[in-house]
Amino acid sequence: MAAITIEALTFSYPGAAEPTLDALSLEIAAGEAHALLGGSGAGKTTLLNLLSGLLQPTGGTLRLGGRSLAGVAPGARRTAQVFQFPVLYDRLSLLDNLTMPLRARGVRRRPRNERGRAIATQLEFEALGMADLERMRPGVLSLYQKQLLAIGRALATPRLELLLLDEPLTAVQPSAKWRLRQTLKAVQAELGMTMVYVTHDQTEALTFADRVSVMRDGVILQSAPPRDLYERPAHTYVGHFIGSPGLNLIDAELVGETLVREDWRCPLPAALAQRCTPGPVQLGFRPEWAQVITGAAAERAADAALLPAAVAGATVQGRDASGDYGLLALSVPEPVRVQTALSRPLPQRALLHLTQLVLFQDDIQVGLFSGGES
Amino acid sequence: MLEGLRLAGDDSSSSLRCEPGTITVLLGRNRSGKSALCRWLAGLTASVSGQVRLGATDLGPLPPAQRPVALVHQAFVNYPHWTVAENIASPLRAQGVAAAERRERVAAIASALGLEALLDRLPEQLSGGQQQRLAIGRALAKDARVLVLDEPFVNLDYKLREVLEQELQRLARERGLILLYASSDPREGFALGDQVVLLDQDRVLQHGAPTAVYARPRSFTAATLMSEQALNAVDGAGAWLRPEHLALEPQGEDSLRFVMRVAGTETNGNQTFVHGPCESATTLPDGRAEDQTLWHARLRGMPAVTVGEALTLHARPADVLRFAER
Repeated sequence: MAAITIEALTFSYPGAAEPTLDALSLEIAAGEAHALLGGSGAGKTTLLNLLSGLLQPTGGTLRLGGRSLAGVAPGARRTAQVFQFPVLYDRLSLLDNLTMPLRARGVRRRPRNERGRAIATQLEFEALGMADLERMRPGVLSLYQKQLLAIGRALATPRLELLLLDEPLTAVQPSAKWRLRQTLKAVQAELGMTMVYVTHDQTEALTFADRVSVMRDGVILQSAPPRDLYERPAHTYVGHFIGSPGLNLIDAELVGETLVREDWRCPLPAALAQRCTPGPVQLGFRPEWAQVITGAAAERAADAALLPAAVAGATVQGRDASGDYGLLALSVPEPVRVQTALSRPLPQRALLHLTQLVLFQDDIQVGLFSGGES
Repeated sequence: MLEGLRLAGDDSSSSLRCEPGTITVLLGRNRSGKSALCRWLAGLTASVSGQVRLGATDLGPLPPAQRPVALVHQAFVNYPHWTVAENIASPLRAQGVAAAERRERVAAIASALGLEALLDRLPEQLSGGQQQRLAIGRALAKDARVLVLDEPFVNLDYKLREVLEQELQRLARERGLILLYASSDPREGFALGDQVVLLDQDRVLQHGAPTAVYARPRSFTAATLMSEQALNAVDGAGAWLRPEHLALEPQGEDSLRFVMRVAGTETNGNQTFVHGPCESATTLPDGRAEDQTLWHARLRGMPAVTVGEALTLHARPADVLRFAER
């Protein structure tokens, strides 16, 4: 178990005008499950390959457990990597596949096989019909089982301190993903292993990780525990990427200490207003951070604190004491989605009372604001 | 208005109507007949038998080129050696539209789809989302009143789909298009559909507003098509509960109680799915013992649930769905 320290890490592919990673810094605690989340081209896999030693940095430093990784060959790094698609030896038994890293380091058959069986038990191979380790070959396994075997093989690396996973669930069928993720979490907790997990799937990141780094264009926009990313996004892109659907974003103007839209205004606490620059502001709110007012109340109200909206449609999500609830799609006129009790038939118009807001200027968070209950 | 859509062998007595400015989501599994229906509407196959009228015109006898119907597939089919502008203009050129008017219409379509800055690029220089927008742009240039999209976003990542779905809704309303959208994702049925049409084995199972179909599914298959996760078997004898109808709090006085041994959780921030076998020994009001199979619960927010715990879940008896056959 070892902490990772990344300082001003830069990487450029030869001949590329822009660096793939640009002066990136990150601390990952020993025993932490850390996810790198972002769209394609964000630099997630590049960072993983720098950690494993498949790539060499153009600048900056990387430390694992306090030791610099500069000049340390991949095989000597005490790291192991699991790839998107399991790479297995079809002619070898499950046990020989599992113990390959031990064999490569000259460990004798007996201790090697003991270790292999222990890992198979830990990953519950038996419950999955993979009990016959010495006679079964990978060819008969499902993709789920194959990926589990690949993970087991990575775990067999002697003195392993850091497990690196690159979109390990891509090839696994959707309904089985949560099981493999759960197995990984259990192993991680049991071994206290530091894990870095690359994914473009926010559910995967939020479910698996203690902390998540949201990446875009070679830069980390925010590293935080899942709940913080959801409730206090540091950047509009983090708000958009985390949550399903993502953070609603609408434009406003800060005039004095008041947020102003054509049909809406909202006074800010003085301390918050002073932190902002007068001018354009982006307002973010989660689907559950708005109260929806409809019917006669909405027709009567002429309250500038309520945001008028036209209803475009609805998605049923669940049931609570008041009946169906779900997402109402609204146009303010920017498209937004709000979680609320659903009535039938749907109203045509509504007013929104925004109970909680995240303020951004030039996409960077400048403050949080709670408007309270109406 | 697209009217009278009726498929041979279809036992649903009411016929479908699709109004301008609305989206109809054709929801079904792989090989349920969605794609065949899309191709049939575009006049590309005779494998479906049925009839359909657009206004007073019977579409049946019209060859594909004369149909006011444009089809977009899940694979981005663009001309690789033509720029974005040339791709969008291709149907206009085929119709013999003059160059000046062509430029004007290409500009209008490109701006509606956010492609105006990319007009000189080749398709291979575009991202996946941009390529699919371009394919939709070409379809729009046909000036077809009916736009049929067959799983158009299936190859795109989830966040991009979210954005494109909103664009599509705006496009349908602003241009008064009759839009049909084939999908296997119930989430899209809800998010996009003014109406949904449930398809199974080349037949229409049920159609109507998404919330109405959701509230009264006529069969187990219909309920499953409208559910993101498998339904929970309450008793193995035709009683089912939807994952979203399980709650952490009791649901009234006659609330049903279940105990799930938590095997795993998944959260996206807004919602959390909890998976595990249901091991409670409670019985339904009518006395039947429930099944001990894998259950799924869909809970609001990020509740503190730990793997291995015995989680008590509650449901209202009125939410139990009963179907004569599976």
